[in-house]
Amino acid sequence: MTLTTDSFEFVADLVRRRSAIQLEAGKEYLVESRLAPLARRAGLGIDEFVRAVRAAPSEHERDLVVEALTTNETSWFRDGAPFVALHQHIVPALTAELAPRRLRVWSAACSTGQEPYSIAMTLQDALPPQTEADILATDLSEQVLARARAGRYSQLEVDRGLPAAMRARHFQADGAEWRISDELRASVRFLRHNLLDASPAGQGFDLVFLRNVLIYFDVATKQQILARMHRVLRPGGFLVLGAAETTIGVDDDWERLPLGRGSVYRPRGAASDPPPWPATVPTPFGSGAPR
Amino acid sequence: MSIVQVSGEGQRRTFDGSQVQSIAEQVFSAMIDDDPSALVLWAGVFPALDDPLEAWVDLTGPWTGRVALTTERATAHDLSRALLGMSPDEPVDDGDVVDAFGEVANVVGGNVKTLLTEVGRLGLPQVAPSAPPMAGNVLHELRMAWRGRPLNIVVTAAE
Amino acid sequence: MRALVIDDSRTMRRIVTRILEPLGFEVAEAADGQQALDLLVGGLEVDLACVDWNMPVMDGLTFVTQVRANREWRGITLMMVTTESEQGQIVRALAAGAHEYLVKPFTPLEFEEKLALLGLLPVGGAR
Repeated sequence: MTLTTDSFEFVADLVRRRSAIQLEAGKEYLVESRLAPLARRAGLGIDEFVRAVRAAPSEHERDLVVEALTTNETSWFRDGAPFVALHQHIVPALTAELAPRRLRVWSAACSTGQEPYSIAMTLQDALPPQTEADILATDLSEQVLARARAGRYSQLEVDRGLPAAMRARHFQADGAEWRISDELRASVRFLRHNLLDASPAGQGFDLVFLRNVLIYFDVATKQQILARMHRVLRPGGFLVLGAAETTIGVDDDWERLPLGRGSVYRPRGAASDPPPWPATVPTPFGSGAPR
Repeated sequence: MSIVQVSGEGQRRTFDGSQVQSIAEQVFSAMIDDDPSALVLWAGVFPALDDPLEAWVDLTGPWTGRVALTTERATAHDLSRALLGMSPDEPVDDGDVVDAFGEVANVVGGNVKTLLTEVGRLGLPQVAPSAPPMAGNVLHELRMAWRGRPLNIVVTAAE
Repeated sequence: MRALVIDDSRTMRRIVTRILEPLGFEVAEAADGQQALDLLVGGLEVDLACVDWNMPVMDGLTFVTQVRANREWRGITLMMVTTESEQGQIVRALAAGAHEYLVKPFTPLEFEEKLALLGLLPVGGAR
């Protein structure tokens, strides 16, 4: 089920012409992971699917491919593992030795708000008493930020990856849409920000979510963004990247901590030693069903 | 947009008819067409339907009413093929059409129920050339074009 | 893995089956809660039941309650798949023992994401 060079180049060229996004050699994994659901639905292998799209007479199939590769994914608790890590490991590590305090969290490239609100829902359950969190969420697009601030989602959007119990707890019907609770809405501050610009809110962050963003940039830009994140995180803070992203081979100033099905990163060269990493075995996300 | 005060036992809610369109669009784009432009508001004079077929669900409880979809039989056949993932020339029998068109009414009706009341009950979907008459007020009528063909959606509040 | 799809609409059973089969599920179908219970009593073993709410004979909430009342069936993961979307209905279904809840309309992707939440999506996707 792998993509031939020829098929990859077809997709890369299509996406470049339509969106100006560069998919260089080495991005085959990205193309494969984004197109897999479409191929599965068509009952085809990934390469067969791309060949079918090339042969298709209408533009519709091509539009679907471009959309799959360029739209921001908007699932709640996307990928699961980072939110399990947040609850079970990151919050305990960040709050282990410090007196009651406020955690500072940054959700970068937050799109329509599913990521920062998922963080807020997780923190509501995970934070110890007398600990609070300031969640900053940024995106380049005012349009998506307006939707994120409103906290209103269609029936289709609200069910995507959101556990039913969370939906019942945090969402109210509002006409044909679903509105997230005022409490959660008030817990996230949304700001327009370009990742290539200076930090929107200084330094001293405990946690940065920067997921599925680096994949779109060349190595030099990735290095520039990672260097900036290194400066804004406090010693002992955490960086969470997308499932297909890593600092390894890009920027050596990070320590990778494998965690269940994913990894998180901590800045090296911290002024003080970070607190010890808890050695608990993580459980898979959402294994709520008895097996 | 029609905004109507819907009163029930001890509860009063504003019914915003424009939401019905948004519900219909979501149902069609999720389950029938990948393409959101397949279902749009009808432009111009809405034609008389040739050999119509109506699919409806009744809502009961503090709020009683009906959500009904009407289209031409041939369109209902195409709608059923699209929903069942069949090719355009594959034959569908009347049973398939009744079931598939009824399910579209069920899903639209279930979501419209959320607009109306917290506690209403949704009846099972029914399909016939036309629904038995219901005394009441039309809260909202939506004239749509599905793949260019007429499709009418009516929400009625019983008296 | 095996799934039981319970819905009075054969259209909906077909839609759900067409999502589940490519994911490697063997699918059985029932048109109401009573038919589904009869299949289970008859020895059908399933990992997942997808349950509509409004059905003739026995509705989905009653079916969920009955399954939860029998210890032999505690291994069955129950997901409501219904047009009932009010908050109160979701709470009722979860309280009765449903593990997840998916509101119609849904896309195949949403369906898969719910299976992922339940730990039922085979790793690596299709086939």
